[in-house]
Amino acid sequence: MSKTLFIGLDGCTYTVLNEMTREIPGEGVTMPFMKSVMEAGARAKLASTPNPLTPPAWASIQTGRGPGHHGVFDFIRAEDKGGEIYWTLYDSRDIDCEFIWQIASRQGKKVAALNFPLTAPAPENVNGCVVPGFIPAKHLRRNTYPRELFDRMKQDIPGFDPKELAWDFDNEKQAMEKLSEEDTESWVRYHLPREEQWFRVAEYIMQNDDPDLMAVMFDGTDKIQHQAWAFLDPELVPTNPEPWEQRMRDVCLEYFRNLDGYIKRLVELAGPDAQVFFASDHGFTASTEVLRINAFLADKGYVKWAESDGSEQALRREASDFANLDWAGTTAYCRTPSSNGINIRVAQKPGDSGIPPEQYERFREKLIGDLYSLSNEKGEPVVIDVLKREDWFPGKHMERAPDLTLVLRDHGFVSIRNFQPVVIQRELAAGTHHPDGIFMAYGPGVAASGMIDRRQIVDVAPTLLHSVGLKVPKDFEGEVPTAFFSEQWLAQNPVQHGPKTQSPGERQAGEEMDEKEKQQLMEQLQMLGYME
Amino acid sequence: MNDLATPSMAPEAITAQLIATLEDFTADWDSEFEGDMNRDTKLLADLSFESIDIIQLVVAIEEDFGKRKLPFETLLMKDGRYVDDLSIGQISDFLAQQL
Repeated sequence: MSKTLFIGLDGCTYTVLNEMTREIPGEGVTMPFMKSVMEAGARAKLASTPNPLTPPAWASIQTGRGPGHHGVFDFIRAEDKGGEIYWTLYDSRDIDCEFIWQIASRQGKKVAALNFPLTAPAPENVNGCVVPGFIPAKHLRRNTYPRELFDRMKQDIPGFDPKELAWDFDNEKQAMEKLSEEDTESWVRYHLPREEQWFRVAEYIMQNDDPDLMAVMFDGTDKIQHQAWAFLDPELVPTNPEPWEQRMRDVCLEYFRNLDGYIKRLVELAGPDAQVFFASDHGFTASTEVLRINAFLADKGYVKWAESDGSEQALRREASDFANLDWAGTTAYCRTPSSNGINIRVAQKPGDSGIPPEQYERFREKLIGDLYSLSNEKGEPVVIDVLKREDWFPGKHMERAPDLTLVLRDHGFVSIRNFQPVVIQRELAAGTHHPDGIFMAYGPGVAASGMIDRRQIVDVAPTLLHSVGLKVPKDFEGEVPTAFFSEQWLAQNPVQHGPKTQSPGERQAGEEMDEKEKQQLMEQLQMLGYME
Repeated sequence: MNDLATPSMAPEAITAQLIATLEDFTADWDSEFEGDMNRDTKLLADLSFESIDIIQLVVAIEEDFGKRKLPFETLLMKDGRYVDDLSIGQISDFLAQQL
C-alpha cells in the first residue's frame, strides 16, 4: 500500500473541474469520484511559475525550487554561439536541483514517477522506477528505469503499447495549430487510449512494486483543453450545438469520465491509509488574440529576418517553432512561442554581433517601453506586464532565462512567425495557460477545508515529502499548506525541516568518495593477500 | 556507462562503442535497415532518423561514453545551418577528437 499517492493533472483548472463535478442537466456528473474528493478534502489555487509552462512548472513541482535554481525555462534550450544559435531540448540533466524522487530514495523510501516531464534520462540513485513522459515511443525503452521494467510492462500489462502511451511529436505539435473540425475531433480522441495506457502502467506498478511515494501524471487534460477549450469553458460551451460541436462536447466528457474512473481505481489501490494529492502545473483560460512578437520587433528594428533561399530545408526551418533570424542583424528577439520571452543579444567579445555590454541597461529600458506601447488596431495595450529576469528568476541559473518575460492580457503565447498585422483576433477562442492551477488533498489526516488561500507551485514538493514521512529540506522555497490537514494529524505529524538538498555536484563528490572507499578496500584486500 | 567507454579510447573502439549504442538505440524501431552498421551508415538515409532522434542520440552517446556537454553543435551545424545527414564515421571522428 502506498503511503502517498500523487496524481499530476497537466493544465487542470477549476474552471473545468468545477463543471465536471457538478450536476449538469442532460449530462449528469461527469466526475463523481472527483466530486467526492473535493467535498471531503481541501484544495487551493496553485500559482504557477512566472511563465506558466509545462517544463519549468513541472520541474518546480519535482524539485521544490524555482526556475532560477533548477535551470529549466522552456521546452527548447538554445545556446547563443555568437553568430549561430544551437537548439536542443531540455532534459533531466539540465535540472540542477535534486528531484523529490531522489530525496525520498536516499532516505529509504521507494518511489515511482510515471509520465513526468524532464525525467529522461532517469535521475540517478532512484530507489524504485521512472517511466518518463514527453518521450517518443522509439526512445521509451532506453529511458525507462530500471531498464528491465520496460520488458516487464510489455510482458505483463495486457494491451501495453508504447506507441499509444508515448508522445508522438508530430501529433503533439498540433496542440497549438489550427485544425479542421475532423482533425480537432481526432486530436481529442487520440488522447483517450493514451491516458488508459498510463493508467494501466500506474495500476501495474502499484500492484507489483508497492512504492511508498507513488506518482503519475495525466497530460491529456492540457492537450485537450488547448484544442477543445470552447467545449469545456462554461462561458463558451455552445447552447444550441451543431452536430460536430455536440460530438466535441461528448468526446471531452468521455475523456474526463474515463479519467475519473482511473483516479478512483488508483486511490482504491493506494488503500485507505494513503494520503492523495493532486496538482497541475498551470491552469487554463481562453486566448482571444495572436501577437506576432518578432514581427513587432522587426518593425521596431530589433529583429532582422533570415533570408530564405526557397529550399525545402529553408521552408521547414521557417515553419519550425524556433526563431529563424539573421543573427548578425538582430539585437532582441523571441526564441520560441512557448517562452513568451525576449532575449537580448549582447556581444560576447568585441566584433561579435549584438549590443555592447555597457549599453545593456539603457537598451533594455527602451525595449520595455516599446513592448508596453504595443497595441492592437483599437489602440488597446496587449502586453500587461514585462518581467525582468533578476526580479522573477533569482538563482544561479538566472542567465538561462529570457532577459524579459511577457505577460499578455489574454495569457496567450506569442507567435514568432513573419506575418502582419502584429496583432489579430482569433476566430474561435483557443485554450491557453493560466497562472492558476490546482492543488488538492484527500484522505486520512486531510481536513475537509474546502477552498483555502492560493498556494505556490513550490509548495507541492514539501507537501509530498511531509506526507510520506520525511523532513522538508531547508533550501526548499515553498511550505507545507498546514490548512490542508486536520489539527489532530498535524499534532501527530508536525512539519519538520531537515538538511538541505544535495546538488548534482555534491552527489558526484559523494560518488567519488565511494570510489576512494572502494580503492581503500582494494588496497586492504591486496595487503591481506585476497587479491593479486 | 558502458564498460568500453574509457577516457583514452582507440578510434576503432570508439566506432565499435558507437555502433553498439546505435544498435541498442534503434532496437525497437520499425526500420527497413538491414545488414550491419559501419562507418558509412548514415543516420537519416539508412537508419530513418528524424530530428528528435538526433537529439535523443546525443543524450545516449553522452550517457554511454560518460561525457557531458560535448560540443555537438560543431558536428551538427555547418555555416549556421544544420547538416543534412551524418555518418557513423563522422560521429566517430568527432568523438575521437573530444574524448
